[in-house]
Amino acid sequence: MLGFDGVTKRFGLVTALDGCTFAVRPGRLTGFLGPNGAGKTTAMRAVFGLVELDEGTVRWRGAPIGPADRTRFGYMPEERGLYPRMRVRDQLVYLGQLCGRGQADVARSVDAWLERVGLAGRACDRLDALSHGNQQRVQLIAALVGEPDLLVLDEPFSGLDPIAMGAMGDLLAGLAAGGATVLFSSHQLDLVQDLCQDVVIIEQGRIVLAGELAELRAKVADRFVAIRYRGPAPDWSRLAPATVIQAGEGQARLRVGREADVAAVLAAVRDRADLVSFSYQPPTLSELFRQAVAP
Amino acid sequence: MTGARQGWLVARRELRERSRSRAFQASVVLMIVAVAAVLILPALLKPGSTRDVGITGPAPAALTATIAQQAHAAGITARVHPYASLPAGEQAVRQGHLDVLVAGAQRLEWKGQPDEQLKAAVTAAIQLAVIRERAAAAGISPGALAALLTPAPVTNVELGSVPGRSPADQTAVLVMTGVLFFGISVFGQMVLTGVLEEKASRVVEVLLARIPPRALLAGKIAGIGLLGLAQIGVTALAALIAAAAVRSIDIPAVRGPVLAWALAWFVLGYALYATVYGALGSLGSRVEDAQAVAGPVTVVMVVAYFASFLTIGQPGSAAAKALSYFPLTAPMAMPGRIAMGATAWWEPVIAAALTLAAIGGLVRLAGRVYTRAILHSGPALSLRDLWRDRTTAGRGPSGTSTRDAEAPPQPAYVEAEGRTAMTGTNLTRYRMLITALTGTGVVLGIAAAVFTRDVIIGVAAGAAFIAIATQLVKLWTRHTGPPVAHH
Repeated sequence: MLGFDGVTKRFGLVTALDGCTFAVRPGRLTGFLGPNGAGKTTAMRAVFGLVELDEGTVRWRGAPIGPADRTRFGYMPEERGLYPRMRVRDQLVYLGQLCGRGQADVARSVDAWLERVGLAGRACDRLDALSHGNQQRVQLIAALVGEPDLLVLDEPFSGLDPIAMGAMGDLLAGLAAGGATVLFSSHQLDLVQDLCQDVVIIEQGRIVLAGELAELRAKVADRFVAIRYRGPAPDWSRLAPATVIQAGEGQARLRVGREADVAAVLAAVRDRADLVSFSYQPPTLSELFRQAVAP
Repeated sequence: MTGARQGWLVARRELRERSRSRAFQASVVLMIVAVAAVLILPALLKPGSTRDVGITGPAPAALTATIAQQAHAAGITARVHPYASLPAGEQAVRQGHLDVLVAGAQRLEWKGQPDEQLKAAVTAAIQLAVIRERAAAAGISPGALAALLTPAPVTNVELGSVPGRSPADQTAVLVMTGVLFFGISVFGQMVLTGVLEEKASRVVEVLLARIPPRALLAGKIAGIGLLGLAQIGVTALAALIAAAAVRSIDIPAVRGPVLAWALAWFVLGYALYATVYGALGSLGSRVEDAQAVAGPVTVVMVVAYFASFLTIGQPGSAAAKALSYFPLTAPMAMPGRIAMGATAWWEPVIAAALTLAAIGGLVRLAGRVYTRAILHSGPALSLRDLWRDRTTAGRGPSGTSTRDAEAPPQPAYVEAEGRTAMTGTNLTRYRMLITALTGTGVVLGIAAAVFTRDVIIGVAAGAAFIAIATQLVKLWTRHTGPPVAHH
């Protein structure tokens, strides 16, 4: 369990983190969301002692984090970076050893990882001889090579093609299933909704939403109805308790209250249009997010 | 897992990666070849010692044997060839078969410039042969003649400037000091560029997520230092082997204890300067910043190096003593005094203790600067930035650098294309400060010249003061040239 406890960080006049309190649980994927400049990177760097905090503590398993804990953490910074002129395998073994693992042990797992991501043949090449995508893969292994209990990844999906994104998602889910605590930031909300059990949303340095995604979605007062129909657009007025929030050719999206009678809404819609599909949903993560960070 | 073990891993990586680099391997080979060549080539290039001497016309009977004897005494093997006629002999000289032709025991004929050594030997031989002939004619016995001609012994001694040390010793000390300067500055700057490269490639963030900044800096300094010690050690070994092979060096100053102290001073000097270089490296943000941030230390080092010459010429003088105790100059000044035999046993010990204390202080200071600056992104930092803003260790909200995020209360600097340029009032203040420092330097130089009654020392002291002071001001304010033009 990773815990942020009233964490505050100021840069001159700007408050990057403002009393952030939230927890990241083991065995689950936690998505860390927020607009650009909200404080995600600063919060992640705080876990590794890369920023001096003005107030508050970051805790690991209940205790303030020390250097020994950090050897059990894996980190993929937003600005990727490794030694450009060092050979891929040497570099990864070195980073693994810095985590306190024995050389032979690290070498075995580096080879296994390189094999897994299809880079076994490039192990003895210099990093800068690799393509951008392959350098990203090496960077990921660099975060994983210490067999971390806690994995913190800053925008791990940025710059990946759809296939690589799928592979990355599977990999993170597998690590979480193995008991690791995984926190990653992303702007791809659909992807986070599919992958994560928990989310934390930060806005201007303040945590505005944190917890289990399903619970957060359930807690919101609004529900949404997506419909598809045939024929001309009907008259959507006087549809209470539902309000149309978006209408287009052959489809519409309605908002209804949590307590609304779904059957009555369905009946009302049926009266007006030749219905093809009707689905009643809690809000998507995108809707949650927009609501949470709305000015 | 302790910081010490991680530091050792960092040091080992430096050793492995750098010793694997072609450029480093080439520099090691080049140094060995250069040192060996300097020692061996003169021995190989020494002109051959066999000469051909021709004789023609009337000559004392014993001349041939006497020429051979005299030449042998001068270290020359002379082969004497009789010629029937003068033209035949001259022909042989012109064709290069003969080095010299002795015509009628009166005239020496050369193809061009006479070979002084051979000329002396042959002239002496002619004199001797003629004297023997006359002595025999005058009835003096060969024994009496030998007694008459035995020269009174005269020996030559090179006093040098210090009792017990010859000019050859001074040359050796000069070379040793040069190697120390070279080693300290080359490997010190390697630390600087290494730190800068880690920062520029952003790998430092991955590393510092795992290990404390001090372990990273200490490991880097230790690894590169071991590499330097190895290269200097190998070079010294090559020098000793080459010297032994040609038996061309016989310098009393190069003794075990002197060499041991020289190595110890390399370690001390390297530790001192590499610490500073490491801290300065963290101030830059791109590899191209290396020269700008290294400037002040490089100037201090060069001044220290030239100042150390004083300790070779006058190792007992007060100035030499002061230089050999002052931590910034001691690593280059003290070894020279030790080698010149101008120190009591406790002097280097105390100087080493002082230098160690200075290293201790600098390590604390450098650790602070490094920890604050290494994670800072954006334009290169000045020391004043660090002093004024103690919370720069880290970047602001995701994607923006601290300097972008914080609006400085008084924007004394305007950012233009990543460079920091000065605005009007600050530039005026900066120019006044530089002028004032230059004036102070001139006054100091004149004072030094009057005090020591030596113009050169005055000029050197004044120039050194101005150079160091302006470089420090630049490091403090990071003013690297004329202000950048704004659009």
